[in-house]
Amino acid sequence: MPVLRTRILVIAFVALGVACARKDAQTPATSLTDDFGDTIVVGPRPTRIVSLNPATTEIMFAIGAGDRLVGRTHWDLYPAAAAKVPDLGTGIRPNIEAVLGARPQLVLLYASVDNRNAAQRFRAAGVNTLSLKTDRIEHFFRATQLIGLLVGDTARAKLVADSVRKSIESVRAKTSGLPKPTVFWHIWDAPLITIGGGSYMSQLIDIAGGTNIYGDRPDVSPQVSIEDVIKRNPTYIITGPEGADKIKKDPKWAIAPAVKAGRVIVVDTALVGRPAVRLGEAAIALASLIHPKDFTR
Amino acid sequence: MIDHRSWHWSLAILVFVVVCIAGIATGAIRVPVADVLRALLGSGDTSSIAIVRDLRLPRVVLAALIGAGLAMSGAALQGTLRNGLAEPYLLGVSGGAAVGAVVAFAFGISNSGWIALAAFAGAAVAVLLALLVARAAGRGGRGDPRTLLMAGVVIGAFANAVIMVSLANAPPNTIRGALWWMMGSAGDASWQTIGVLALSIVGGGAALIYLARDIDVLALGEEPAAALGVDVDRSARTIYLLSALLAAATVAAAGLVGFVGLIVPHIVRYAGLRRHRPLLFGSALIGATLVVAADLAARTLRPPAELPLGAVTAILGVPFFLAQLRKAA
Repeated sequence: MPVLRTRILVIAFVALGVACARKDAQTPATSLTDDFGDTIVVGPRPTRIVSLNPATTEIMFAIGAGDRLVGRTHWDLYPAAAAKVPDLGTGIRPNIEAVLGARPQLVLLYASVDNRNAAQRFRAAGVNTLSLKTDRIEHFFRATQLIGLLVGDTARAKLVADSVRKSIESVRAKTSGLPKPTVFWHIWDAPLITIGGGSYMSQLIDIAGGTNIYGDRPDVSPQVSIEDVIKRNPTYIITGPEGADKIKKDPKWAIAPAVKAGRVIVVDTALVGRPAVRLGEAAIALASLIHPKDFTR
Repeated sequence: MIDHRSWHWSLAILVFVVVCIAGIATGAIRVPVADVLRALLGSGDTSSIAIVRDLRLPRVVLAALIGAGLAMSGAALQGTLRNGLAEPYLLGVSGGAAVGAVVAFAFGISNSGWIALAAFAGAAVAVLLALLVARAAGRGGRGDPRTLLMAGVVIGAFANAVIMVSLANAPPNTIRGALWWMMGSAGDASWQTIGVLALSIVGGGAALIYLARDIDVLALGEEPAAALGVDVDRSARTIYLLSALLAAATVAAAGLVGFVGLIVPHIVRYAGLRRHRPLLFGSALIGATLVVAADLAARTLRPPAELPLGAVTAILGVPFFLAQLRKAA
């Protein structure tokens, strides 16, 4: 009899424990809200995921869930393994049927107005859809956390976010005592497009110890005039290899003191082009370009 | 007709000069007018010289050439086709040029020289196609103006479809670049571009002015023209080709700048000029003034950004045109 009572007690305790544990596992977030204000229920671990944003594709691979991707955008170049995932188009106004045809349990979308309709359609088709903005550094951290939660790997997600945060903070600490030269980031030449304060690239300039001459503009990619750039007289002009080539050949740019003095910095556009897992590396690269003498990894 | 309206000419030239000086003197960087004039002559501090001579002067010259070319093209076409709605882009020039440029953009070409060449090639193909279709469909092998207009419109529609297909899945910067190109801009002005454009505009314009009497006669109608000893088909074809050349050259240099070629000839006609020699001269002058003013507005109205030139020409041109229309009514 005592044996039996003990057994019953043990079973009761175990049952209680399991119940508590299950409750614990669910309470942190049984549902979450994305940047369209849609509610996403955290369900069983999805095994078929479509990522229609190069930044979230990078995050998926970084947290070790890349092998569960069954679709990506045309622009996903990093990591190299992403090339093996089927290309489902540009990621903006996606082909709904093509995406649903990949039979995803979760779709990751970029939260731009153009994609609102797609998100609604995916949800109507019963597919969990997480739409996220990825314009700023804090968006990256949030995206990593939410994706970790949804794909069922919060620990790896935290690890990735922490490591990026650590390298960014280390760059910030190293450049904090240095002077902050002004920088113009040349993105596109016709129309002349730069980055505004709303972009993670403007944040990167700041972290790397520079000052974006258009940091006062709230938009992500403002269009500006060359004369205004010359008026703001940046110390450095940052651009990709193609942009640098154009600036060197164009007599109009020769007027800018930065060009005259040869202070045109060429960056690896693939490295700095995404607000994703290589943000830390991008900050390091920029800091060593803006402060070639004073910054050391 | 010129003599008793000579004050019109003086006024028009004065306005043109004032607008050009304003264009060279105004911009994001403040340069006092005295320094501007000194810089034009090559003295003063080097940065003022650079801003005036390398940044602003090319834009003003390019804008003036575009305006002159489009307006002359429009005047010649309206006369020859006897249609006040005719305009330089009519014969498929804009559509063809846009297809050339956009396809170049879609293939990742961003060098402005190549884009200009692609645009010119596209325009040439479209115009030749329109002329061939009109000739094949025209009565007894003659180019019928109405068929020509139809051919131009249809080729334009087809061109639009090609543009949309090319841009539908293009990367954002390519789309932005292509749209920007289609809205027109004098921002890419270089002396090289200006040289090529000046040759085309001066050459094509001079040829049109030389043919001005033929346009006068064609404007009376085909039969009276034939009766007056004009080889209608040949003259008309030459004028179409010259007008298309003018339009295509401007499009290659600065993208699509709408409205100028349609409206300016009307403005000049309201001023009393009917014969095509003075009409072409007057159109060139007013067209140049309008586009220089529009470019000035495009780069100063919304700093630090620039507005698309084609949109500004329409915004500036429409009220002016409506005012003229009311006065004439």
